[in-house]
Amino acid sequence: MATNCEIEPGAAVESALVTTDSYENFQQMSSSLEEIKNSNYAAATPEEFLDNCNNLDNDIHLTCSPVTSSSSRDEDYLQDEEWLSKSKHVFVLSSAGKPIYSRYGNEDRFASYFGIMQALVSFVQADDDSIRSIHAGDRKFVFLFKEPLILVAVSKTEECTIQLTAQLNYVFNQIASTLTLSRLVKIYEQRRNYDLRRLLTGVDRFIDHLLDFSENEPAFTLGAVQCLPLAASVRDSISTAIVQSCSKIKNVVFGILLAKSQLITLVRMKKYYIHPHDLHLIFNLVQASESFKTIESCWAPLCLPRFDSSGFLYGHVSYLAEDCQACLLLLTVEGDAFHSLSEAKQRIVERLRRGNCLEAINASLTTREETCMEMGFPELRHYLYKCKSTAQFYQPTKGAPYSINCKRLLNLYKQAHYKLHCPTRPLKLLFERNGNDALLAWDTPGFELYAVLEPLTETSSAITTVGRLLSWIKKREDKLFQLNAPTF
Amino acid sequence: MTANKSDIELKNFFIFNSSYDSKEGEEYNKVLYYYPPTDDINTQVNNVGLVEAIIKFTGNFKPDGPLNSLHTLKKRQLYFEPEDHYWMVMTLNLPFMNKSRNGSTYLEYVEEEVHDSIYKAVLKQAYSMYRLFSGTYSSTDQQNNVAALRSKLDHFYSAYLKTLKLSNCDILNVFSGIHFLPLDKQNFLNVQCFINALECNYPIIKNVSFLFNDSLIWSGIEPDDTQVIYQYLISTLLPANIETELQGGSIPRNPSSPFSSLHYGRFITGPSNLKTADSVGKVPKIYLNNEKDAAVYYFIVYRALNASICLFINGDVTLTVELFKELDEFMGPKLSSIASDIAEYCTRHIIPPNTSDSSPRFIYFNKLNLAYKSTVHLDHRQTGNIACNKEAVQIIADMNSKKDLLGYAGETIVKTMNDYWVVGKVSNLREFYVVLQHKNASLIDISDEVKKICDSELKGIFFHPM
Repeated sequence: MATNCEIEPGAAVESALVTTDSYENFQQMSSSLEEIKNSNYAAATPEEFLDNCNNLDNDIHLTCSPVTSSSSRDEDYLQDEEWLSKSKHVFVLSSAGKPIYSRYGNEDRFASYFGIMQALVSFVQADDDSIRSIHAGDRKFVFLFKEPLILVAVSKTEECTIQLTAQLNYVFNQIASTLTLSRLVKIYEQRRNYDLRRLLTGVDRFIDHLLDFSENEPAFTLGAVQCLPLAASVRDSISTAIVQSCSKIKNVVFGILLAKSQLITLVRMKKYYIHPHDLHLIFNLVQASESFKTIESCWAPLCLPRFDSSGFLYGHVSYLAEDCQACLLLLTVEGDAFHSLSEAKQRIVERLRRGNCLEAINASLTTREETCMEMGFPELRHYLYKCKSTAQFYQPTKGAPYSINCKRLLNLYKQAHYKLHCPTRPLKLLFERNGNDALLAWDTPGFELYAVLEPLTETSSAITTVGRLLSWIKKREDKLFQLNAPTF
Repeated sequence: MTANKSDIELKNFFIFNSSYDSKEGEEYNKVLYYYPPTDDINTQVNNVGLVEAIIKFTGNFKPDGPLNSLHTLKKRQLYFEPEDHYWMVMTLNLPFMNKSRNGSTYLEYVEEEVHDSIYKAVLKQAYSMYRLFSGTYSSTDQQNNVAALRSKLDHFYSAYLKTLKLSNCDILNVFSGIHFLPLDKQNFLNVQCFINALECNYPIIKNVSFLFNDSLIWSGIEPDDTQVIYQYLISTLLPANIETELQGGSIPRNPSSPFSSLHYGRFITGPSNLKTADSVGKVPKIYLNNEKDAAVYYFIVYRALNASICLFINGDVTLTVELFKELDEFMGPKLSSIASDIAEYCTRHIIPPNTSDSSPRFIYFNKLNLAYKSTVHLDHRQTGNIACNKEAVQIIADMNSKKDLLGYAGETIVKTMNDYWVVGKVSNLREFYVVLQHKNASLIDISDEVKKICDSELKGIFFHPM
C-alpha cells in the first residue's frame, strides 16, 4: 500500500493486556493464582482454597434477583411467533441435558428441547467427533460443548459460526467466572444430574447483559478494549495514585479503573497480564450490577477464566465518588483484604481529588467524541483502529447514517473482521463497496484498521484518507490510548 | 499448503423417504439407497435417524430456507430434499493435516476448505443427473413400486458416485454454467440453417442442441435441461468418445468417391456402425421438462470432427435403422463442412488464453443465460487443472457465498497473505472474479488493472455502479 506502514499509532513497548488474535484457541487458560500465592508465601493451600470456594454458596453476593418461579401457563414456545422471531437464542444445558439457561423464555417450559440438543451432541460424540453447527435457511445452530456444559446458539444474525462460538465461549466464561471452572467440573463429577441453576441464581442477568453487550460492542469482535480519552499526564497521575495507595498491601494483582465500558487505567502486578476477554467480563460485571452503585463498596469473589480458571480473585469494587461515576476494582488473591483495600480506595480518591483527576475524568465522560465529519474527514463515515501490541482500540462517535442504524455498521465490521482473520485464508487487505457503503480493512503486524467510507469512494481517495487518518490518530495517541503499563 | 494434507473423501451417501411408515425395528425400510454398502444396517438406520432428528430440531425454529448442512469437527454433511420427503444426504470427511506441537502430533481438520455451496451443488447435480435418465423419484415409486425405485437408484448411483471427483470440485460446480462459443454471423447462421432444415425435414425431432468441442453454440431445450445435458456431455459422454476416436482415428467414411464431399459423421448414441447394424440397438431415453410436465425423449448424439449435435426425438415413436441411415446421410456432409468452417474461424479469431503464470486469471458467470468463461481453469472438465493458486480459487468461492450481503451490485478486492490479489465484482446476476499476482502492486494499481481487463474481456457488459 502506498501509505507508510511504519506509523503505528498507539503502539507501546509494554502492554498490560495480553495481546491476542480473537479466533485463537478458546480453551487456552493459564493458572496464575498458585504462582502468585506461592511466590508470596500466601497461606492457603490448593485444598483449602477449594474448600473455601465450596463454602461460597452464600457469599456469592451476585444473587440479586430471586428466580421467577415458573408461571401458570405452560405455553409452547415453538408455537409462539414472538419467541421464534428473536434473532438469537442462547441455551445452556448440562451434559446430561438439564436446562440451565435460556436467553428468552423460561427454560423449564421446553425442557424436552434441551433433551434433543443434548442427544444431538452425544450422538455425534459417540462417533468420536463433535458437533459444531447446523445451517438451515437463515438460521445457524451453533454448538459449543465444553465439559461439563453444552452451549447452543440459534441465530439468524449475519455473524459467522466462529463469532457465535466465541460468544458462547464468553457465556461459558461468565458461568465459570462465578463458580470457577474447577468447581464446575467437580460439581458434575459428583452429581451428573445436578441442577446448576441453584448455584447460578441471578447469573442469568449477567449472561443476558453479556450477550447484549457482546452483540453491540466492537470490543468483543476485536478482542480489545477502548480507553477513555484522557491527557497522558492525567492518566499517569491516576495510575501513580493507585500504585502508591496500594504499595503496602500484599498480593494486589490488578487495579482497574473504568467508566462507561471504557478503560481509564490498568495497573498490574509485575509479570502478570490480564486477557481482554477477562476484562470484558469485568466490564460486564460492573455494568450489569446496579448494586455497586448504591453500596459504598463490595467484596466480590471473581474468577477470571483466562487468568486462572481454577480459583477466585477477590475484588474490591466501588465507584470513586458521588460526583464521579468511574468504577474502581482492586483484585487480590487474599480473601481477607477487604478493609485494607477499602482504606487504599479512600487514599486513591483523596489523591485523585487533590490532583484534580476526578474533574478530568468527568470532563472526558461528558464530552462527546468527535464524529469523522467533525474530525475533518467528510468522506469517512466511521472507523475502528486497533493497536495490536496493546490490545486497545479507538472509534469515533457514530455519525450519520449509522447513529440510528448501528447494527448495520457493526455487521460490516464483523464480516470484515472475519474475512481478515479466517483461520485458513487470512487476508492482509480488504476493500469492499456496494450501494450502501465502502469499507477498507487492513491488517498489518502493528495494527488493524477498519474504515467505512462513502459508497462511491475510489480506491485512490480511500488510500489517501486512510493515510491522513493514521497520522491524525498518531498525533493523539497519548490521549486515546494507555501507552504504558504501570505495575505495583 | 503442506504436502501431507489428506484429500476430501466421501464418507457416505444415502437417500431416504421420511414419510414411509416405519414401525420400531423396521426403520431400514425408509432407506432407499445407501453407500457404502459395507456399512451395516444398524449404522445406516442410525445415520438416517440423526438426519431425521436434525430435520425436526431445525424445523421447529421455522428457518426461511431449506436445511443445508451439518458441520462437525471431522465431517461435513449436506442435505437436499429434491422432492417432498425424499432426502439426499452426503457426508464428507474433511481434509486434515498432521501437525505437531510440543513434540506430539495431532490432526488438524480444515473446515474452511470445504464450502457448503460447492458440495450442495454436487448433491443437486447428483439428483438432476438421475432425473434426466430416470425421471423423478416419486414417479418411479408411483408408477412401479419401492423395489423398482431402489433398484434404479442402486443401478444409477453406484456407478455415478465413482465418477465424482470431490477434490476437484470448486466454484464452477456452484455455477454449473455453460461455455458458449462466440461465432461470427456467417458461421452462426450456417448452424441455424442446418438445425432448421433438420427440424423441418424430420418433424419427429423435437429439439436440437449443437456443440463445438466443449462449447455450446445452440440449444433448443429449456435452460435447466440444457445445463444437465451439457454437464453430461462434456464430463462423461464426449470424453469417453474422444478416447475411442483417438484409438481408431477419425477418418472419412467414404473415401472411395472423390466427388462427394467429405463425411466424418457417426452416431455416438445409437447404432455405432450403420453398415453392419441390423437393429437400432439401445438408444438412451431421457426425461426433459421435469419441473412442469415431464416428457420422454430419445437422446441421439451425432458427431462430425469437433462438432456434436444432440437430437431430441419424441419418446413414443419407433426408431428404425433406416431412419438412422437417412439422418446420417443428411447430416454427415453438412455437419462435416460446418465443423471445419468453425474450426477455421476459431484458429483465426479465438486467441488462446495467455499461459504465462503471472498473467491475470478470471472467471465470469451470468446467471441469466448460465454462460461462464474461465481462464482460471485450463479445461471444462473439472480435472483440477487450474492456472492459479488453489487458495485464490477458494477465496472466489468465499466471495460467491457472501455475495448476497453485497446486494444488487458491489465489488470486493482482497490481498492474501502470500500477496495474491483477488477481485470480485457482482452486478445484477453477473459475477466476475479476477486473480492477479503482483507482489508490489498497490490497491490503486489493482483496481486500474481490473478496469482494463473488464474493458478488454467484457466489452459492452456494464457493471453497475463501478
